[in-house]
Amino acid sequence: MTIRGSGLRRRLLCGLAAAAPVLTILASGGLAASPGEPPAAQATGQKPAQAGPAASTTAPAAPATAPAAPATAPPKPATAPAATAAAPPKPKNLEPLQSAASSGILGKKVTGPDGKELGLIVDVVVAADGHPLAAIIDFGGFLGVGSRKIAIDWRLLRFDPGQPDWQVALRLSRAEVQAAPEYKPDAATNQMVGPPWEAPASRNGEK
Amino acid sequence: MARNDRAGKVARTGAPGGGKDSGAGPPVTSPPATSPAGRGLDWLNLFVGNIQTGFGPFIAVYLTTQGWTETSIGLALSLGTISAMASQVPAGAMVDAIANKAAVVFFSILAFSLGALLFAIQPTPLPVYLAEIIHSFSSCTLGPAIAAISLAVAGPAMLGLRFGRNTRFASIGNGIGAALMGACGYYVSERAVFFLTAALTLPALVPLLPLARLGTGGRAAGRDAGSGGWRDGLRPLLTDRRLLIFAASLMLFTLGNAAILPLIGSALTERVGSTASLLIAACIVLPQLVVAAISPAIGRLAETRGRRLVLLLGFCTLPIRGLLFAAASDPAFAVPVQILDGIAGAAIGVLVPLVTSDIAGRSGHFNLALGFVGFAIGIGATLSTSLAGAIADRFGNSIALLGLAGVGLAATALVWGAMPETRTPQPGTP
Repeated sequence: MTIRGSGLRRRLLCGLAAAAPVLTILASGGLAASPGEPPAAQATGQKPAQAGPAASTTAPAAPATAPAAPATAPPKPATAPAATAAAPPKPKNLEPLQSAASSGILGKKVTGPDGKELGLIVDVVVAADGHPLAAIIDFGGFLGVGSRKIAIDWRLLRFDPGQPDWQVALRLSRAEVQAAPEYKPDAATNQMVGPPWEAPASRNGEK
Repeated sequence: MARNDRAGKVARTGAPGGGKDSGAGPPVTSPPATSPAGRGLDWLNLFVGNIQTGFGPFIAVYLTTQGWTETSIGLALSLGTISAMASQVPAGAMVDAIANKAAVVFFSILAFSLGALLFAIQPTPLPVYLAEIIHSFSSCTLGPAIAAISLAVAGPAMLGLRFGRNTRFASIGNGIGAALMGACGYYVSERAVFFLTAALTLPALVPLLPLARLGTGGRAAGRDAGSGGWRDGLRPLLTDRRLLIFAASLMLFTLGNAAILPLIGSALTERVGSTASLLIAACIVLPQLVVAAISPAIGRLAETRGRRLVLLLGFCTLPIRGLLFAAASDPAFAVPVQILDGIAGAAIGVLVPLVTSDIAGRSGHFNLALGFVGFAIGIGATLSTSLAGAIADRFGNSIALLGLAGVGLAATALVWGAMPETRTPQPGTP
């Protein structure tokens, strides 16, 4: 099942990958971005375009809040009538999303071990349970010409949200990933670059 | 860091080589650049070439850094393509109807500034869509208007040389633009590239001064204010066999040509190490240098030996280039092969306005005809990447390149078999 270009931005926090059927979510930053309205004061990040849709909570958190709704039933009648008069009620469970500990990921620069820029994160591939499996990186090129999209195992990436101009660090060098097969969103099967210290069989498959 | 230095160096060292052949013009000697209007056109083409680089494929990179998804970027770029296709012919007709071409150029360039500023200041969907539409439409008015001014500035005998100089300066502008914007994106930020683009539109307005003083009383007004009714001239023009074959052959050529550089670029990224970006930059800048060097000679050749020969010369480079790329094992080999792209670029840059003026120069529909040819080229460019991508997915890059070479061969064959000579004999030429 593939949800693409849905208006929702899913915030994908660091997590372990799980082997499962692939569910692609193209977080639609462009369509949903509205720099003018930081949703929750305590949740604003340093990047307005990414802080904008932060109200649409984290993907893993979404299932958790749904069952919580019946439990917090008492405050519901109290707030709802007052709010419906003018504006729709705010979500019942608003939690802080600390910009020092989390960040949007789309369009982030990816650097190699030598600190040189390798490309930009253009998509995140997640498993059925919402765990990120791979980052799709638009790799190389000059002024937009000749870049290639490749899939990199999520575990090979290191994140440092909270720093002003942080970049995603790839643990492999350019030479180790440049010949990876091109990622095609519509293909039945794609291959991603996994950790080289795992299963040599999958390493052969990548070449 | 190194890649941009190199690109800049290449751009600079190429200039003196380009200057060589401008003085040696045996048959048609009167230099078309001595008048203030001629020099104005030179600079105008240079700055417009400069600006256009900012609106290239780099937009996708920029929007990605702004958190845009692939889908929404694709939507924005398609919107630009569609509006360009839809505007070509109407924009040409509009330019035909406006006597003051310098004003058309002025407002088109201002629209470019607006588009670039929209990109830079507000990279959110609506402003970006608006910027794409504004840029597409003003591109369709700008090119024909510059060609129409060139018609007015240069006499009929000088026209090939004039378009040669236009093409030379536009590609110098392109090369400088690629170097400047590559450096700007690398050292400053992706967003700064669009502020730079907007800033570069201002010097583009300066060379308009001598052209505006040229006034509307020139040949452009005389030609364009056709004697007959507007529609009377249109039907014979758009059913003119020469124009249809010319447009069809250019569509085929672009269909084979447009996807080659992206294919080669991604092959370089895949196979070459950290120098891949630099080699891709060289693959972009080198053809521009070749165009800058040979365009005036190409223009002279078109005047002395005819359009057909030059068109065949330019077109036949495509099958050769596709074959060489398909056969090449060493990706670094790609850079010198791109010289062929420069030859084709010069031939097409000169011949598109020249042949169109041969066919439609006196009809009062010159700009509309240019728009029609531009529309055909646009169709070829749009289909090219999808065609090459589909072949490459199934059969690999080499077969895709061979396929593109085949399309180029078909374009060459069409010119060979069906395209008549359009040059009208001038009293001064043999």
